[in-house]
Amino acid sequence: MKIADIVKTLEGTLVAGGDSDRTVGTVVANDLMSDVLLNDGDDILLLTSLASDQAIRTANIVGAMCVVVHNAKPLPQTMCQVADTLGIPLVSSPLPKYESCVRIHDFLKAEAAG
Amino acid sequence: MDWRPTILSGGESRSDDQIMAAHEPKAAKRVSGPGLTGGDGEPLVIMELLQRLRVKDVMRDHDIISVVRTDTMHFAQNLMKRNHISGVPVLEGKRLFGIVSINDIILALEGGWIGDACQKHMATNLVVLEDDMPLAFAIKYFQNYTFGRFPVLDKNRDLVGIVSQRDVMRVLMRELTNELTKLEGRHAASPEVGPSSKSEAVRPYYSMRQFIVVRNDLSNAGKAANEIKKMLGEAGVEKKIIRRIAVAAYELEINVCIHSLGGTITFILEDRKATVIAKDKGPGIKDVEWALRDGTSTANEWIRSMGFGAGMGLSNSKRVADVFDIHSTVPTGTTVLCEFNLPEKA
Repeated sequence: MKIADIVKTLEGTLVAGGDSDRTVGTVVANDLMSDVLLNDGDDILLLTSLASDQAIRTANIVGAMCVVVHNAKPLPQTMCQVADTLGIPLVSSPLPKYESCVRIHDFLKAEAAG
Repeated sequence: MDWRPTILSGGESRSDDQIMAAHEPKAAKRVSGPGLTGGDGEPLVIMELLQRLRVKDVMRDHDIISVVRTDTMHFAQNLMKRNHISGVPVLEGKRLFGIVSINDIILALEGGWIGDACQKHMATNLVVLEDDMPLAFAIKYFQNYTFGRFPVLDKNRDLVGIVSQRDVMRVLMRELTNELTKLEGRHAASPEVGPSSKSEAVRPYYSMRQFIVVRNDLSNAGKAANEIKKMLGEAGVEKKIIRRIAVAAYELEINVCIHSLGGTITFILEDRKATVIAKDKGPGIKDVEWALRDGTSTANEWIRSMGFGAGMGLSNSKRVADVFDIHSTVPTGTTVLCEFNLPEKA
C-alpha cells in the first residue's frame, strides 16, 4: 500500500510532504504521541485526529511513511510546513478514524491475499 | 501560573465578558513562540535572553495613563494628545475593561460621538500579554499583530503594565550590552577556550549541541529531537539506535516544555556513546519514583489536547536508554540523563 492507495482508500487529499514510493509496514491509529513513540514498527502509517505540528514531528522521530488526519479537520499552516520540511506525506481525510482503520485493514488483507 | 502561549485572553478566568480571547482579523493567523532552538541558527546568547527575560522585566509598570469607563472620548483624546500616546486603557481600579485607541478617536470625531462615554466606543476584544510570559512571546505578538503596545495582566487578571516595542528594544539593548561585556571579559581571560581551539579540532568523533526549550512553546517543541536525529543520521549511526535516541530526546524535550519553567536539551555525540541531558529550571519533581511510573502525570487538559501529558515521557525515555539517571530538587529543577552505547564503527 503506497501513498496513492492511502489517498484513494481514505477518500483523502495529499496536502503536504510530497509523494513517496514507500509502502506501509505498520499501521498505528493513535492520538497519543507517547504511545506512537512506543511503537517499534517500521514504515508506520499514522492514523490520527491530532492536527498539530507534533503529530508530524512524532512521525519523523519514528520514521513514519505517512500521516493521515481525520474528519476533514482543518490543518494548521505550520503543520503543513513541518511536513514539507521533514518530507512526511500528510493526508487529510474526511472519514472518521475508525472507518479509516476498517478500510486500511481490508486493503492490506486483500493485498496480502494477492 | 497556567498561561497559554496561543491564547491572549483577558477574560478567560473572569466571569464577565468585557474582555474576550478574541483576535482581530489580522490576528487570526497562528501565534506561536519564535524558533528558539539552536537548530534555527539564532545566536545562543539571544535565545537565552529571550527565554530568561519575562514580559514583566520589560513592561512599563508605573505612571500608566488611563481613563475610567464614564470618561468621555473627548477626555481620552486630550489625554492622548498631552502625553503623545496612541491609546489609553480603560480601567476600574486595576481591572481592564477596554482600550480607546487613536482610531476610536478619529471615528468618534467623524461620527460626532466624541462627547460619549468611553465605555460605549472602546475596544473590548483585547489581545493581552501576561507578566510571566517569556519575552520571546511578546516579540512574536508584535510580529503577528499590528498593535504598537499590549496591556499586561498578572495571574489575578489585573492590569500591571503596558509593553511597547520601544520598551522591548530598550531592555534588549541593555541586556545584550551586558552579555557582550561578559563574553568579552571571558574571552580575554582565557583566549585558548573556544570552538576553533586546537583541542576541539582534534576530536574526530566528539560533538555537542545545546537547545533551548521554552516553557509551553509546543509549536517549537520537538525541533531539538529532530535536529539530534539529523546529526545522528549524518554521523552514520544505525537507524534503530537513532530511533531510540530520538525518542528519548523528544520525550524529554516535551517534558521540559510542558512541565517545567523551561530549560535545555544537551546532546553529546562521542565515538562509542551518545548522551542526551535534559535540564530544567524548576519547579522540580516531588516524588521521582511516582513520576517514573507509566500513566502518572500532572499535565492539564491543554497539554493532553496536544497529544501529550499521558505520563509516559520519563518511562519511555528510560525504556529506550542504556543508562538512565534522574535528579530532581524542588524548586530548583530536574536533570535527566540518557546514555546510549554506540557500536564500534566498522
